[in-house]
Amino acid sequence: MSLTGLDIFKLTPKKNCKDCGFPTCLAFSMKVATGAVEIEKCPHMSDEAVSKLADATAPPMKTITIGKGENEYKLGGETVLFRHEKTFVNRNRFALLLSDSMTDEEIESKITSIKKVNYVRIGEEMRVEIVALKYEKSREKYLDLIRKIKESNLNIVYMLICEDVEVLKDALELVKNEKPIVYGATKENYEEMVDLVKGDELPLGIKANNLEELYSLVADIHKLDYKELILDAGSSSIKEAFDNTVQIRRIALKEEDRTFGYPSIVFANELSKGNKFMEIALTSLFILKYGSIIVLGDIDYTRALPLFALRQNIFTDPQRPMRVEPKVYPINNADENSPVLVTVDFALTYFIVSGEVERSKVPVKLAIPDAGGYSVLTAWAAGKLSGSSIAKFIKESGLDENHNCKKLIIPGKVAVLKGDIEDNLPGWEVIVGTDEAMHLPKFLKELQQEATAV
Amino acid sequence: MVFKKSVQKFSGKINEVVIGTGEKAIKLGGENAMPFYDFDGNLGERPKVGMEILDIFPDNWIEPLKEMYKDVADDTAKWAQFVEENFNPDFICLRFEGADPNGLDKSVEECADIAKEVAESIELPLVIAGTNNHEKDAKLFEKIAETLDGYNVLLLSAVEENYKSVGAAGGLAYNHKVGAESSVDINLAKQLNILLTQLGVKPEDMVMNVGCAAVGYGFEYVASTMDRIRLAACGQNDKTLQLPIITPVSFETWTVKESIASENEMPEWGNQEDRGIAMEVSTASSVLASGANAVILRHPTSVETINMFIKELLS
Amino acid sequence: MEKFMIIGERIHCISPTIRKALAERNPEPILKRAKEQIEAGADYLDLNIGPAEKDGEEIMTWAVELLQKEFDNIPLALDTVNKKAIEAGIKVYNRAKGKPIINSADAGDRIEMIDLAAANDAMVIALCSKQGIPRDNDERMAYCTELLERAMTLGLEPTDVLFDPLFLVIKGMQDKQTEVLEAISMMKEMGLKTTGGLSNVSNGAPKEIRPVLDSAVVAMAMQSGLTSAIVNPCDTRLMETIKACDIVKGSVLYADSFLDL
Repeated sequence: MSLTGLDIFKLTPKKNCKDCGFPTCLAFSMKVATGAVEIEKCPHMSDEAVSKLADATAPPMKTITIGKGENEYKLGGETVLFRHEKTFVNRNRFALLLSDSMTDEEIESKITSIKKVNYVRIGEEMRVEIVALKYEKSREKYLDLIRKIKESNLNIVYMLICEDVEVLKDALELVKNEKPIVYGATKENYEEMVDLVKGDELPLGIKANNLEELYSLVADIHKLDYKELILDAGSSSIKEAFDNTVQIRRIALKEEDRTFGYPSIVFANELSKGNKFMEIALTSLFILKYGSIIVLGDIDYTRALPLFALRQNIFTDPQRPMRVEPKVYPINNADENSPVLVTVDFALTYFIVSGEVERSKVPVKLAIPDAGGYSVLTAWAAGKLSGSSIAKFIKESGLDENHNCKKLIIPGKVAVLKGDIEDNLPGWEVIVGTDEAMHLPKFLKELQQEATAV
Repeated sequence: MVFKKSVQKFSGKINEVVIGTGEKAIKLGGENAMPFYDFDGNLGERPKVGMEILDIFPDNWIEPLKEMYKDVADDTAKWAQFVEENFNPDFICLRFEGADPNGLDKSVEECADIAKEVAESIELPLVIAGTNNHEKDAKLFEKIAETLDGYNVLLLSAVEENYKSVGAAGGLAYNHKVGAESSVDINLAKQLNILLTQLGVKPEDMVMNVGCAAVGYGFEYVASTMDRIRLAACGQNDKTLQLPIITPVSFETWTVKESIASENEMPEWGNQEDRGIAMEVSTASSVLASGANAVILRHPTSVETINMFIKELLS
Repeated sequence: MEKFMIIGERIHCISPTIRKALAERNPEPILKRAKEQIEAGADYLDLNIGPAEKDGEEIMTWAVELLQKEFDNIPLALDTVNKKAIEAGIKVYNRAKGKPIINSADAGDRIEMIDLAAANDAMVIALCSKQGIPRDNDERMAYCTELLERAMTLGLEPTDVLFDPLFLVIKGMQDKQTEVLEAISMMKEMGLKTTGGLSNVSNGAPKEIRPVLDSAVVAMAMQSGLTSAIVNPCDTRLMETIKACDIVKGSVLYADSFLDL
């Protein structure tokens, strides 16, 4: 991320005046790049050049913390544009919009939805993390709304959407200690806004009519020495929001211009104009392409199942594949009389295998030993899936004692383990399964028929 | 610092490939930028949205879809016409589930007859999807390529195991388009394109299916594979990867638990049809954002939503 | 990372066939060699017309148009010390597939070739030498810096200059080989692009040994950061080595048939 000698050379006056003690500007620049010499040795550097150099040592995109305690999340801090280049660092967070112009019933129902859609998928909590509280009409009602959320005991971060500084002051009295996001700095009110949030270092959401104005607004706020920012990508059209979200991220990471080195916020609820499936399509787009906070109109399982799962996928570190917890998973109401099928704890393998077993409708106990998070063949080659490790898992999981059906199906690709397992697990019949998961339904149905026939 | 848009010019461009004939023929590809990045370059042709139908009654599909197609689904040609008239997608994907040796194992002659009837009764371009059994697909595509000569259909797909037969039939003996299929393996995707080219199939007669997964089911591999293919094709000007990508989204999203679990099984999950659409819409928008030039969908609401999604992003 | 750039060296007036063809304006031998090189994988073709003091402008114009017309605007390196000939060549040059490269400038008499590149928005090969071979890397890098400064002061992008560290013949200068590789590393550290006449290293060695030496040097130089070379693309062993190195460096996506491309 640091500047090269050539980058620095471009900033010098290129006069070769030797005032710095070096024969040429280039020689000087090369030394500065290595850190051996201070840039200030050159008396002719412009202020802009000096500040650019100082910036170069800071990360290109700032990490912003929102919320407090168990509801604390980090946004931003990304270093690459594509996840395969390294990894994405901080997943996007979902917000749900509430406003003071909603009826009590509406508000209640949304609070209930937030509480209801709360589950764990591959070790990760799946729920809305932020309430976006929008001030529309009445100060009293707005403050009531905030109180209502507080009383509901939701585990959640507050985002106050309000451009009226006076109202915000009252609102902040209620939730100041929760490190809420204060959203609504514009070119008209930004000085007061910065005054309001500076003491507590609250993240400040800022918006403008277009990308260029947003850029100068950030620059103005930088002059007030405030850098806890979240940028609104705009919501006048889907295209504008998309272009701006990509531009903000690219200008920060590729052009290394820290003016845009902040997380972004996208109002998918407004962009989709009440069309739920459009909201799902757009939210998917912004999970992939650089939305840091995505605001939804409501939450239910229809939205949550694809969106939370997509987010979980995209923010997986390519170097560290997802793993499922090693244990025995009963499928299709399996009981002690169902066969046992063993595979690895690599999340993708688990999902494909469990999906095919579900499709077969045959009750099966899926045994997942600790196989290092590798796929079947890799785990076997690395010694993480062996006859003894499988036998050990079957014993420790209690299946050996408390299970009647002593049939153990192993992946076809590790057929060689059959003998080993049988030696280690007396009393069990080891059956070699299919090479590919897609052939499991047929295989399991036939196995079931055979068992019934006997 | 002054505000300056970030622009990335690429030297490589995706080939243009035509499927179908006449006024309703479609063109895929032509872009020299990442998906929907029109600030960088030319986006080429609008991404296309097709709809899936089967050669047999869709017993495994969800109830509302069976209900919708109940009067037409026993006759594949009628079903195709119904889809063309009512939903007007960019193309129709006829999938030969009934030819699967593990299922009904219909003969290739019978399948070819059905394909012919369908082709004759619609104007939309036709994509023919096989059974995933490589041996059977090789024979199926050979027969269909012959029977549908002149319709310029897309055969989905040639895989490593059968590319010679499928490529020779679709791209050499008859004038169709050949899909090169790999499953989320970027090196194989490239290799298959090279092999088909070496066989003599022209690049403008090929598209790729680089694999798909429903969101939540290893979709990160799909997204990164597509990112890397597009960056290599446009950024590194790798000619062997400059092919349009078609992604059969519905083949993946309607078999996962989120879409097949009934409301009785998962009462808290709510309406099953909505869940299925949501999985399909989320996966489709994600592959389009990653580089797909065409998607195959099942539910009319998904088609409507994704069409609107594309239109808004291109406006 | 960018793919290694191959500049085909076989249109060179040192070859009697080419010298004769240029003099007689006979397209056939020139086109034949161009075709062989392009098919073998050359990205650029070097067009060396010799000093051509008399009719350089005319020859260069003729040859540039001939090659670009026949081979879809194949990009060219215009190779002569005759500045007027280079200017004339650039005038008719089509940039659709890439900027012209001026071959070459050095830190001595030919430093003005840098000015010519800047004035014509061309790329330029910059030999890191003044008279003869640089004594050591201090001298080499001093020339490199001098050339770079001149280029940047005149407004050229650093990436428009291809620095040539001067590959040296193994038979006779074996002890200098690692120094050249080190120079390439230093240039890479500076973010510079590099090139060089690779076949120099195996000069004088038995014919059957030359491809091995050239291949070994190119592999090591690519690891040090060499971004292009002026080579004989028809040398299969060398080209396969370069392709394999591109794969290992991640500049080209792997596929089983990568050597066929």
